[in-house]
Amino acid sequence: MAPGVFTKGLCGLHHRLVAAGYSCSGPLCASAAAVKTLPLQTDSTDVTDKILNLPLEMPDFFRLSELFSLKDLFDARVHLGHKKGCRHRLMEPYLFGSRLDQDIIDLDQTVEHLQSALNFTAHIAYRGGVILFVSRRRQFGHLVEITAQDCGEYAHTRYWQGGLLTNAPIQYGPGVRLPDLIVFLSTLNNVFQQHVGVRDAAKMNIPTVGLVDSNCNPSLVTYPVPGNDDTPAAMELYCRLFKMTINRAKDKRRQMELLRGLSAVGLTPGS
Amino acid sequence: MAALCKVVSGLRTGTCVFPKRAIDICKSLYSTDSGETSEGKAVEETQKPAADKVKSGFAAAYEQHTDLQQRQNQTGTTVRFGSTRNEKSFASLLRNSPLIQMGPAKDKMVIGKIFHIIKDDLYIDFGAKFHCVCKRPTVDGEKYQRGSRVRLRLEDLELTSRFLGANTDTTLLEADAFLLGLIESKDAKTKE
Repeated sequence: MAPGVFTKGLCGLHHRLVAAGYSCSGPLCASAAAVKTLPLQTDSTDVTDKILNLPLEMPDFFRLSELFSLKDLFDARVHLGHKKGCRHRLMEPYLFGSRLDQDIIDLDQTVEHLQSALNFTAHIAYRGGVILFVSRRRQFGHLVEITAQDCGEYAHTRYWQGGLLTNAPIQYGPGVRLPDLIVFLSTLNNVFQQHVGVRDAAKMNIPTVGLVDSNCNPSLVTYPVPGNDDTPAAMELYCRLFKMTINRAKDKRRQMELLRGLSAVGLTPGS
Repeated sequence: MAALCKVVSGLRTGTCVFPKRAIDICKSLYSTDSGETSEGKAVEETQKPAADKVKSGFAAAYEQHTDLQQRQNQTGTTVRFGSTRNEKSFASLLRNSPLIQMGPAKDKMVIGKIFHIIKDDLYIDFGAKFHCVCKRPTVDGEKYQRGSRVRLRLEDLELTSRFLGANTDTTLLEADAFLLGLIESKDAKTKE
């Protein structure tokens, strides 16, 4: 009796979903068509496709592994974590151990995570994506803003309004473009709670790169990088690395476009 | 344990002459672990450098550790992931770092550098995760400028405490140290 009722209910739901699927793909298709530009010539679209797909074929197209080494991270005190009492349960896999109550972050894992995070950032920058640097640490606010300015991207180091990402069309006008990547140089705000942006970016399907210290929650961050976010030396290292990555990716894109003979004024938005 | 290791190594290399009692002990060890019936077979297989059958117990652990050591010696010369200057492992870098060699931070003398000054508060960085904040001393107060090197006596590397009803510790994001005095160097550069 109960299973029969249940299956009937599911069938009804399935039918409704199929009908709804058709109806909601309509407006989606319409908006996609509105965003697409006029149909380009076939050979230039092929060239553009080639430019966009070539970096995806190699694991380290931008050669980011030569930007940093384990020794650089060690000298910048990236492996130092908070005290044992401040530790977040989900950070335990990333910890090497605990020395006299101070957590030590495993730099072997950090190297891998940082490599993949920088690689992802480079690919986003190559495709002309909007990158937003977020950090609520007042000590490094200026550093983050200068970093963003130097690589031609954006930074938000002030108070985060509740609907910044989730209510953007109403707060900033219709048709506003949201960031394609958000880089959190500290995932906590000043009250040691997680930054609202981490949750909001996950809600809006925006990938995030986040520097997670031993008291942070890495679960919602797409590319967590376990490391110290309290020492100026470590923050300067990260900012320098992100800046170099983004600049390298953008230079590579300009170089590819010049090589293929496309005279684009700026970076064309990724398809 | 050390004697057993020596006997086993002798068996593996097959060079040293061992007493009959050792053979019986080893045979019994391997035969109980592997479940082989014939004694000769067990002795012969333990003498082979790379055994065909899977070893278990102590023999397996010994083999694994010697392999690891050989592999480590081999890969020590090859280029590691990253760059050529990254030869040491993280564990060895950590073990030889001053922070670990120092031990507990209580009452240790360190040298710090002032990186920020707000009126009478000196923000001093001494190489740990956090900086410490000390009051400008009355003696030679004007000599403490940005870039001055000072001597500190550490109390704590991070001021944390768990309050009632809290899940995690509350941290001040600061270390605690007692300012002893300036380093006697005449070239105290001021940082912009």
